[in-house]
Amino acid sequence: MESTFRRLWTLGPAAFVVKVIIAAIVADALLLGFILLRRMYRRRYFARRDRRVFEFRQKWEQLLSGDIPYDAWRLDNFDRQIVEDIVLDAFEAANPVESARLLGFMRKTGLIEKRIFEARHYRGWQRMAALVALGRTRAPEGISALAEGLRDKHQETRHAALRGLARTASPEAAGEILTWVGERGLQAPALLIQNALINCCREAPRMLLPYLEHADREVREMLARVLGEIPVNSIENALIALAEDDLPEMRAAAARALSNAGHGQAVEALAELAKDPVWFVRLRAVVALGKIYDARAIRPLLQALTDSNRLVRMRAAEGLVDRKSELASIFAEAVAAQDRYGLYAYFAALENAGLRKQLEAQLQEQAAGGDSNAANLLATLAAGELKAPPPAPLLSGPEQPLAPAPAAMAPK
Amino acid sequence: MIHFLDVANHTLFVYYFVCNLFYLTTLLIALKTSAAHQKRLKSFRLEWFKESPLVPPITVLAPAHNEERSIRVSVRNMLALDYAELEVIVINDGSVDSTLEQMIDEFKLEAVRAVYVPQVACAPVKALYRSAADPRLLVIDKESVGSKADAVNAGLNAATSPYVCVVDADSILEPDALLRIMVPVLNDPAQVIGVGGIVRVVNGSEIANGRLSRVRLPRKGFEVIQVVEYLRAFLIGREAWAQANMLTIISGAFGLFRTDLVRAVHGFRAEAIGEDFDLVARLHRYLLDREIPYRIQFVPDPVCWTEVPSDLKSLGRQRARWQKGLIDVLLKNRDMLFRRRYGRIGWIALPYMWVFELFAPVIEIGGIFTIVLAACLGVLNEKFCIEFLIYGYVFATMISIGSVLQEEVTYKRYNEWQDVLRLVSYCFFEHFPYRQLHMIWRLQGLWQFARGDLAWKPLKRQGLESAQSG
Repeated sequence: MESTFRRLWTLGPAAFVVKVIIAAIVADALLLGFILLRRMYRRRYFARRDRRVFEFRQKWEQLLSGDIPYDAWRLDNFDRQIVEDIVLDAFEAANPVESARLLGFMRKTGLIEKRIFEARHYRGWQRMAALVALGRTRAPEGISALAEGLRDKHQETRHAALRGLARTASPEAAGEILTWVGERGLQAPALLIQNALINCCREAPRMLLPYLEHADREVREMLARVLGEIPVNSIENALIALAEDDLPEMRAAAARALSNAGHGQAVEALAELAKDPVWFVRLRAVVALGKIYDARAIRPLLQALTDSNRLVRMRAAEGLVDRKSELASIFAEAVAAQDRYGLYAYFAALENAGLRKQLEAQLQEQAAGGDSNAANLLATLAAGELKAPPPAPLLSGPEQPLAPAPAAMAPK
Repeated sequence: MIHFLDVANHTLFVYYFVCNLFYLTTLLIALKTSAAHQKRLKSFRLEWFKESPLVPPITVLAPAHNEERSIRVSVRNMLALDYAELEVIVINDGSVDSTLEQMIDEFKLEAVRAVYVPQVACAPVKALYRSAADPRLLVIDKESVGSKADAVNAGLNAATSPYVCVVDADSILEPDALLRIMVPVLNDPAQVIGVGGIVRVVNGSEIANGRLSRVRLPRKGFEVIQVVEYLRAFLIGREAWAQANMLTIISGAFGLFRTDLVRAVHGFRAEAIGEDFDLVARLHRYLLDREIPYRIQFVPDPVCWTEVPSDLKSLGRQRARWQKGLIDVLLKNRDMLFRRRYGRIGWIALPYMWVFELFAPVIEIGGIFTIVLAACLGVLNEKFCIEFLIYGYVFATMISIGSVLQEEVTYKRYNEWQDVLRLVSYCFFEHFPYRQLHMIWRLQGLWQFARGDLAWKPLKRQGLESAQSG
């Protein structure tokens, strides 16, 4: 029997071209036909859908209260999908009372059960859709099904499960995520896991501590960043201990978290971290000190104004400028430091915050009272640079090139 | 001679055939990828991601040179972008019109000293301004050296975010464009170092308050053909190449990069004609040389609307410039070809660019010439020739309609029936006579490059203000 290849060969190029032309013409016609038919179909579909959505919206209260029997809509796929979509959208903007009411409705109508079933038994995109819907409901009974989704072999499904758990914002979900991370390591982007844990650990940051102590380096760093983002009043001592960790990421996270921890010992720990040999730890500490309105934070911030890293100087200047009532005295200290880069950063922050005139007024007031130093400071402010040393270049300087910051550590 | 013509005509046929096969493959990959992307987005709800405190800041860099007709609309649009940690840096690149004055007036700019470290070389900066109305806006007024790349480098020096998004100052971004372009980064921040978004044609559409209020097709036929071209290039070409991590171009009109890496490769090359292609090529080289795993992605839903030339002369100039940019970058990176270190970039992506992009005008115009010559000498196989031309035309038209289909089944921005019909109709004109004209412009580009004529020739623009309706 003659092979297909041989037959094509013997037909010659002309016959082959004719066939390709015919195939291409048919393909063109099919594509065109498909576009037109699809447009017609979608037009009709959405018109019908809009009509039904409008009808449901008109009698939404009766629908929620059950005055309209659930079977009137839930046995029809099209209607059920519309109702579920409306409810899930309502969850996004609902207050706690309204959320509870919507959740009650979903439980009574069996929509939650249906989604839990789908999340457990379906695969691929269908499972993913079920997990997303479950997450949107924030239903506690969905947590175990979502946790099972974390172990799915498809990455997209795992991500959907993680996002769903994040949505529940419950310590129970945090427990599931931490167990999964403990078992399998980082099987999803760190940012996604961090985000989920930030949402879920707000009420119980303490549950992160055992993992922070015992997990491997990668997981510890990720968890440290989580800790840096949540209020941690109850674990201030643990954070201060973390500030002495060997890993710079951990120290940076401790610095970030300490800005939320209140004033107590935090300022002292942050002042120490502001002298850390690693630039992004210093940066985090300086940002945190800038947020703490405590007189003890001013000295380390002034010291950071002369830091070798420009981002640290910039953040220190922003933190100092933020203390509006003490602008003049802080400016005097900044000038006294005789660091032209530090002073430049201070001027930049001052101008960016639109506080130059306020500082000028404070200094003029002091000068009018006979303060000769205030007059000098006014002159420095007007000149925009220190008097004696070589002029600070406005747009250039032998800066140290920045080492790339890890994305999550980047200045905010 | 006859033998030569015969070989040339058959070579042209093989060339067309392989080229179209490439397009068909990319069309199929793009259709599959877009469908998966749509499903993936269902789990990636942008409002959740917006709430996250971990979303990295972005600096938008917008170089502007004589953009007085667009600047207010586009800067307003950039400041209205839906992104929590946003910084907008507009670089006034030696405009001789009222671009700077318009910004000073509209955004209450005040001269400031901001931290600016000239880490990447660029022309001298005259002044820095910050907006009193919106402190997220910083304007750099610099001297012009006639290079967009140089202007972007100035912005790069002032950027304070870990990611920079380069956009044209005559473009309009959709409100959620930055959120969407960050999706691949958030999914894999360690590896994704650059992301391209889709650029669409704004001509014909209506703009209100810095936002696109109604999407319509342009009125002129060759503007509509450019719409089809953009759809094919972005929705099919880039989507498919990115899928295989072989994306070599992120459009200069809308692209996101990791700031530290752009600085590491010394920013954009000021003398490059196609600075966007050049940067991506150098990023590939930098990372492959160091064996750093990375991905350069394309996302088809963050949309940037840009103005395309609305007269043939400007269009010809633009296409000639693109061709000059192409040859410039390909020559600069010719040592990457067929080297094991550069993997699929050196073995597939760059050879493709050489054969099917750079040589395309030479081969196609040369092919037409040999066909005509063969006909004149009476040695042309007429049947074969007619069949071949029809085949080339129909197949290429199928790819164009395929790109409209891709648009239709995924993003569907053109809602009016008339627009879709016009779009499909113009697919039939794209490959005759527009394609041949396009090839002549590209050939002119090659000729200009060979003569050393690398000067930037201005394009006539309508300006976004003219599309303002509300």
